[in-house]
Amino acid sequence: MEAFDEWLHGPATWIATTPLSRFIQEQHAYAFATLETLHLIGMTLMLGAIVAFDLRVLGLAKSIPPAALHRLIPWGVAGFILNVVTGSLFVIAHPHQYLFDPAFRVKMVLILIAGLNVLAFYGTAFAELKAAPAGADLPLRSQVITAVSLVAWVGVLVCGGLVTSGYFG
Amino acid sequence: VDPFFAWIEDGAFSTAFRESEFAFPLSLTAHVFSVALVAGTSLPVALRLAGYLRGVPLAGLMRYLPIFWIGLVVSTVSGGLLLIGYPTKTLTNPLFYVKVAAILAAIWVMWTARRSVGSPTAAELSPARARVMGLSLIGLWAVVIAAGRLLAYTYSRLMVGF
Repeated sequence: MEAFDEWLHGPATWIATTPLSRFIQEQHAYAFATLETLHLIGMTLMLGAIVAFDLRVLGLAKSIPPAALHRLIPWGVAGFILNVVTGSLFVIAHPHQYLFDPAFRVKMVLILIAGLNVLAFYGTAFAELKAAPAGADLPLRSQVITAVSLVAWVGVLVCGGLVTSGYFG
Repeated sequence: VDPFFAWIEDGAFSTAFRESEFAFPLSLTAHVFSVALVAGTSLPVALRLAGYLRGVPLAGLMRYLPIFWIGLVVSTVSGGLLLIGYPTKTLTNPLFYVKVAAILAAIWVMWTARRSVGSPTAAELSPARARVMGLSLIGLWAVVIAAGRLLAYTYSRLMVGF
């Protein structure tokens, strides 16, 4: 990790000197506050979609057909895209502040895990879930994948909070 | 009101909160997460009211309401801790009152939606009224989130002394 940290200083310093990084750094603090607000709104869209859908798969609100609740997922995806864009702008503006923060690194690993889990979900569980009617219990495989999703995304959010509030900074 | 702010700030709890290394970051993280949970669990209800999730029964969505209330309790407690730590910073900023008003209005909309389902005497919401309620709910939470984030940028005084 130490060798990696040492190597990372190179790219981090390069990012901080790019025109885009300079441009964001030069903006008024309110521009940053606006980006942060958009990031929080994106996070809320994701959490809202994930909590409702995942808890249905795990057995809450069984009167709702899972396929109907799956229509929330595009809202969550929109939130994710918004957050990849705004989050990248934070890192580009202040690479040293983020890239060396342990909470930021754990957050990136959790996003990777959550992303692979999404592939596992659509590769194996989605078909049976789509066919499930209101009131149905879902197979164990769907529930396990969904539990991983819930834990990983909540972890992403908590790590994000620790990054922002400078817990390790 | 300065003596009142000073009284809170000089209190043992408020002082300990500011001096602690972890109290502020952990309270803020808990606050951000719980507000996202409250606004996030409002989202399916708001979208359903606004007419975007037609296959989803509104009564079914009310099963998520306990999460909304738990999030509200956690965000009030964590927000209360932040407030006790920095009363002058928060209470002298008009945005704080905008945030509180928007939260109360959002709770009222959720409560109205809750009362419209479930019981035999419940008054059915007209589609037009439901649409206004759903769109206002989304707008109100956006105001809460924006005002909350801007509180960190727009304060005029941090503490009574400076």
